[in-house]
Amino acid sequence: MNTSSSSLPGAVHTQKPYLEVRPDSSASKLPMTEKISVRNVNFFYGDYKALKDISLPIYDKKVTALIGPSGCGKSTLLRIFNRMYDLYPKQRAEGEIVFEGKNLLDPKQDLNLLRARIGMVFQKPTPFPMSIYDNIAFGIRLYEKVPKSELDDRVETALKRGALWDEVKDKLGQSGLGLSGGQQQRLCIARSIAVRPEVLLLDEPTSALDPIATAKVEELIYQLKSDYTICIVTHNMQQAARVADFTAFMYLGELIEFGETSQVFTKPTQTRTEDYITGRFG
Amino acid sequence: MAGSSGISLSTLRQHNFWDAVMRHATRTAALTVLLVLGGVIYTLVVGSLPALNQLGLGFFSSQRWNPVEENLGGLTAIYGTLITALIALVIAVPISLGIAIFITELCPRWLRRPIGIAIELLAGIPSIIYGIWGLFVFAPVFRDWFQIPVNNAVDGIPILSTVFGGQINGYGILTAGIILSIMILPYITSITRDVFETVPAVLKESAYGLGSTTWEVVRKVVLPYSGAGVIGGIMLGLGRALGETMAVTFVVGNSHRLTGSLFSPGTTISASIANEFAEAENVMHESALTLLGLTLFVITFIVLAAARLMLLRLEQRKGN
Amino acid sequence: MALDTSLYARRRVTNQIVMLLAWAAAATGLVILALILFTLFYNGVAGVSIAVFTEMTPPPGSEPGGGLLNAIYGTLVMTIMGTAIGTPVGILAGTYMAEYGLGTRLATVVRFINDILLSAPSIVIGLFVYGIMVKGSGFSGWAGGVALSLLVLPVVVRTTEDMLRLVPNGLREAASALGSPRSHVIVKVAYRAAKAGMLTGILLAVARITGETAPLLFTALNNPNWSTDMNGAMANLPVVIFKFAGSPYENWRELAWTGALIVTMAVLVLNIGARMLSAQSKANS
Repeated sequence: MNTSSSSLPGAVHTQKPYLEVRPDSSASKLPMTEKISVRNVNFFYGDYKALKDISLPIYDKKVTALIGPSGCGKSTLLRIFNRMYDLYPKQRAEGEIVFEGKNLLDPKQDLNLLRARIGMVFQKPTPFPMSIYDNIAFGIRLYEKVPKSELDDRVETALKRGALWDEVKDKLGQSGLGLSGGQQQRLCIARSIAVRPEVLLLDEPTSALDPIATAKVEELIYQLKSDYTICIVTHNMQQAARVADFTAFMYLGELIEFGETSQVFTKPTQTRTEDYITGRFG
Repeated sequence: MAGSSGISLSTLRQHNFWDAVMRHATRTAALTVLLVLGGVIYTLVVGSLPALNQLGLGFFSSQRWNPVEENLGGLTAIYGTLITALIALVIAVPISLGIAIFITELCPRWLRRPIGIAIELLAGIPSIIYGIWGLFVFAPVFRDWFQIPVNNAVDGIPILSTVFGGQINGYGILTAGIILSIMILPYITSITRDVFETVPAVLKESAYGLGSTTWEVVRKVVLPYSGAGVIGGIMLGLGRALGETMAVTFVVGNSHRLTGSLFSPGTTISASIANEFAEAENVMHESALTLLGLTLFVITFIVLAAARLMLLRLEQRKGN
Repeated sequence: MALDTSLYARRRVTNQIVMLLAWAAAATGLVILALILFTLFYNGVAGVSIAVFTEMTPPPGSEPGGGLLNAIYGTLVMTIMGTAIGTPVGILAGTYMAEYGLGTRLATVVRFINDILLSAPSIVIGLFVYGIMVKGSGFSGWAGGVALSLLVLPVVVRTTEDMLRLVPNGLREAASALGSPRSHVIVKVAYRAAKAGMLTGILLAVARITGETAPLLFTALNNPNWSTDMNGAMANLPVVIFKFAGSPYENWRELAWTGALIVTMAVLVLNIGARMLSAQSKANS
């Protein structure tokens, strides 16, 4: 392929891309509390050290984006927050992640309880092989014995919150597998919200979606911020700029820079951050 | 804080309780599989002990079989088991490979599925059906159209007249081997086809690209690539043939006389057990049959373990 | 051109011969299947009558007549029993290997042993059950059912594990991320996703034991009379076929063919059902 003709669409640009930062980005409005505090965290896949001494705050009711080239450890970090790595042998984390005054890496931490309070949405939509209604009710039924009428309300609220209600209200009994990719992803977000978590982890939630579906999910994330602390992993810098209040740039398992999104994208303090967001590597 | 999301600690405890129950139940079930194998070995060994103690290792070299006088030797049955399985392999392997080549390389696409299904249905037919078919349909035809003419043709020729001589009635070692070959044909075919399909298309295409014929592609690319898998499949078939009972019992003739003739009646381990165990004359007879069963189990265990290891190796390579 | 055409001609002839043999092999296989089914139908259909399903197996030398009712009943009962015992244990064991025990040494060992049991001679299973259940207490329907359950077990273990491993990990992670305990993830999500495949495995296992003879020969034995007593010897189709086919009585032989036809039809129906189910599950996913 000939990369020298920079007029072609998709060619490598070395100029700074236009990054639209929301003008009402409320990052600097105080007071802010740390919902999750990451302190000196290391992570290992067997003998391989995937995260090196990471420390950063995740602020309450804000959106924090983790960006960086693939393999930098951003998804790994996200999956520590709800101890997802515990499903697999030979993966382990060291250090301290303080959530609600306790270290969630503590082996005594009840994982199911933790995960019910820190929800997660994945890269690929993961509707369960059951009806739309049952997909949403799945998490609610786990911990709460609610009467049918209240369950109906909860499902409706969650689907409304997930901006999916109008599209599915007449086919709640149909399989969740029959929805489009974008709808499936919003179903998964609604399913996470239905359990009323305090934190929402989004692992590249739009990478499998088309631009229109992506826009809908981004809009949804923006709205959810008022009630939830959100941490999103994305490889799309424009997306980080559009939805996040804070941005952490990671590279090769290290945290290079963390700050308000507008600062990270317009006045990065580290040259590696600047190189990355201007497209010189990654 | 817990109240806000409606999580109650009692449900949490309930979840953890049931999770522990499930974890232990599944683990116990997995251990049951090991227990079954251990139980099989233990029962067979304990059951064989009286015979082993009285008859000793001479059991394996003696061809006498007189249950009433407790004079028992397993050679005829062991020989019969091995020779019928060998005959079955000799017949079934080339045909199975042919069918597998046909399905993967020659067959028009629309015919592929129906033939595959037919082969697998053949594998599903219970062995007693092969037995009854062999007894009533195959054996008489085989006697009239093969045994008698061949016997006449080799009359007077040394060695051959022994191998194809003896008591001719349609039943015997060769008949059993042929019925067994029909039985294991579908097993070997379906495994061979599966491993043939693991050969990457690019490899075959590059060979065709050099101007190779279909046969050359099969022989130089497909077979070397899938060699371990094919051998694994053949050994699984061998395991079946060694342990098969009903297809053999009907047609092997059930005679404990050891002869060099393929046409003469003989017996196999499984046929002896099937015929005699329920009506064993005495403890020694029952124990000797159990010892035969143990022998069969050890032989098939070795064959099957080797087959699995070979297939496992292929799988691991595929994983890389 | 430096191509040696004589060499090429020889290669082509070799190829054609081998390909012809492959055709012949495939034709042979299909012809044999057709032949077996044809003779089975030809001989079996002749004996089909109401009496087959209403009368008991006839005593020796009582020509003509008799039926297979007691044997059909015994086969049904012991097949159901074998499935009822073998399936739950098999599903649990398969679940351990694909879920809780994934990657552990125990799972690896169990998988290997299970594969051996899968193809172990069924008559040896019969000897085992004889040793633990029949010796001392006599032949019984229970023993027959247990023997069959030991044949169901490895089939179900294998398919359960295989099918669960096909369930994408993303689904498990998603269910865990909602706070589900592992047991809930397995029962409510993984089983649901693997349902059709697991059911296929169970059907194939049932098909396998429906025609199994060897392990019943000295566990359930046979019983010429109507008996629902699971503690006593129990008639069953395969053993009746075995006994009757080798007999000198015309009506016994005819019943053997009819019994063989019934067993084969049952097995084929189960097999085809299993295949349709697995095709359907593939289409859905």
